Amino acid sequence: MADVTLKGMTKSFGKGGAKRAVDGIDLHIADGEFVVLLGPTGAGKTTTLRLIAGIETPDAGTVSIGGRPMAGLAPASRDVAFVFQQYSLYPHLTVYENLAFPLRSPARRMDAATIDARVREVAKMVRIDHKLESRSTRLSGGEMQRVAIGRALVRRPSIYLMDEPLSSLDAKLRGELRLELKRIQKDLGATLLYVTHDQIEAMTMADRIGILAEGRLVQIGTPREIYADPANLHVAARLGQPHINLLPAGLLPGVEMPPGTKTIGARTEHIAIAREEGGNARIDWIEHLGDQNHLHIKLGEQKLVTLADPDMAVAPGDPISLSLKNPLYFGRDGQRLV
Amino acid sequence: MTTSPNSYADKAAEVAARATPERLVVRVRALSDRAIAWLFIAPTIVLLLAINIFPLFWAIYLSFTNFRANRPNAEVKHVGLDNYTRVLNDPDIWVSMQTTAHFVFWTILLQTLIGFALAYLIDRKFRGHAFWTTLILIPMMLSPAVVGNFWRFLYEPQIGLFAYAVSFLTGIPTSEIQMLGSVNLAPWAIIIVDTWMWTPYVMLICLAGLRSIPDYIYEAAEVDRASNWRQFWSITVPMALPFIMLAVLFRGIENFKMFDMVNLLTGGGPGSTTEVASITLKRDAFEAWATGRSSAFAIVLFVAVFGLANIYVKALNRVKQR
Repeated sequence: MADVTLKGMTKSFGKGGAKRAVDGIDLHIADGEFVVLLGPTGAGKTTTLRLIAGIETPDAGTVSIGGRPMAGLAPASRDVAFVFQQYSLYPHLTVYENLAFPLRSPARRMDAATIDARVREVAKMVRIDHKLESRSTRLSGGEMQRVAIGRALVRRPSIYLMDEPLSSLDAKLRGELRLELKRIQKDLGATLLYVTHDQIEAMTMADRIGILAEGRLVQIGTPREIYADPANLHVAARLGQPHINLLPAGLLPGVEMPPGTKTIGARTEHIAIAREEGGNARIDWIEHLGDQNHLHIKLGEQKLVTLADPDMAVAPGDPISLSLKNPLYFGRDGQRLV
Repeated sequence: MTTSPNSYADKAAEVAARATPERLVVRVRALSDRAIAWLFIAPTIVLLLAINIFPLFWAIYLSFTNFRANRPNAEVKHVGLDNYTRVLNDPDIWVSMQTTAHFVFWTILLQTLIGFALAYLIDRKFRGHAFWTTLILIPMMLSPAVVGNFWRFLYEPQIGLFAYAVSFLTGIPTSEIQMLGSVNLAPWAIIIVDTWMWTPYVMLICLAGLRSIPDYIYEAAEVDRASNWRQFWSITVPMALPFIMLAVLFRGIENFKMFDMVNLLTGGGPGSTTEVASITLKRDAFEAWATGRSSAFAIVLFVAVFGLANIYVKALNRVKQR
């Protein structure tokens, strides 16, 4: 395992570099760290991974892995493992042969017994050991993706790069594999860079989350920091379920706010409500999710969504009083004001 | 009994049917899906029966008789398996089968190798690859009659471009390059023409196979430290194999019954060095007028091609299912 450093990484696509996919990214991933890059489609997450793996060549900037500069090195010489979003299994091979494929590289000179031991160990780790002799095309989606992850794990590379490996699975399996992946990473002490647009994956697995937007790294920090202390509106809007409520400054009279505030961001924990005749707001709609309720609230013309205890005795149309506790303040440019 | 929504629909249909005048019911029934389906395929089936199936059975019948098409009024006698015994014991027929096998083997080998290599190059998507693809496909679009005729000119020892080019490169005098006249060269002359004409077809099928392999599998292999050589043998070839096998099947069946081009180029000569099975068959049927015997030969050929193709398709399916 090793640490990875990106400096000023830039890559454009299209005619004459019209579309800038990755725009001057600086990032340091410590040895044994689990970093998640979170961002919407087209934010440059996958391109960043491909640049590190050497599948794409950067227009500017450098990658170094374990202190070694990677400029000009082919993917094979970089000692990285990559899990692709699509199940990139070799379809004519069995699960066993798929797992053994990276170890059979002549560059490794690994004897058959070691390969066999390693394959079986990893197969057990990703819980596919009962299907070793199946053709990879005969597996379900979850099994295929486990093999794909296993194929990365059989090697002991400097860094694991994973590109939305769970996005094509159903919710239940995604939840299970999320836990397994985190456990495996901890056991191996692996350096792992993981790309996703799923905030739950990011929050649950990451040591640190990097928020990407339009090719730039907007903010990086622990999940707690990113959630509680977002640098700007974009980061604040990425995390939290239900979504953060963005209110124009001055909607609620008497709230003290830093000078220059344009928008107030209020998550559930920033909102205090109580049933009150003649209150400043009213319940518009209630979504019952079982363990919790989503309250849709109307405050004048402004709509808000917040979580509430399912036992809370309110009904649509009820008047309530709504106040804010330490919400987030954002200036005209969308940056956070403290 | 519980009533399912379906039985409600059935009841509704029944009520509607009872309320409909008798005349209309008949018309509606006549246009059921099944009837329409039959109506659409009927012309094709009639044509197929008339020009494929009927002649096949007629030929099977003739193959057991001594019928001669140039003597329609002579008495037709049943001769049992005599025609088959004679065909299978005729050394000339076995020589023509050997000639056919030689022709089929070499054309398929060359067309597959060159076609796959071309497809592999075109798939690199270099500048202007679409233009080159179109250019390469031109021979395939020509009529075999045209191809046969102009290769006759190209092969001309005195004025032909082919002899001139070979002579220019090797120094052998043009008069010795009798591509169609020499016993040794004539089989290769038709192999060259067939390869020239049909390699693009094999290339096209191989190209479809190569294009169906997703890029990310190569990227995964690259990250897994597989060399280009290993990627070629462990990804490209196995994944394109069903397509290659399909091309081989199509070309195999086509070349087994190759007639037009050979007939135009050499007519089976010199001697009988390029007399493939279909030429022997034509001579037997329309020059010797031994209709019964040639029918038997045709049936033997049909069974051979059909049997081989079936075995081959089984193998192809097994490869596909991997």
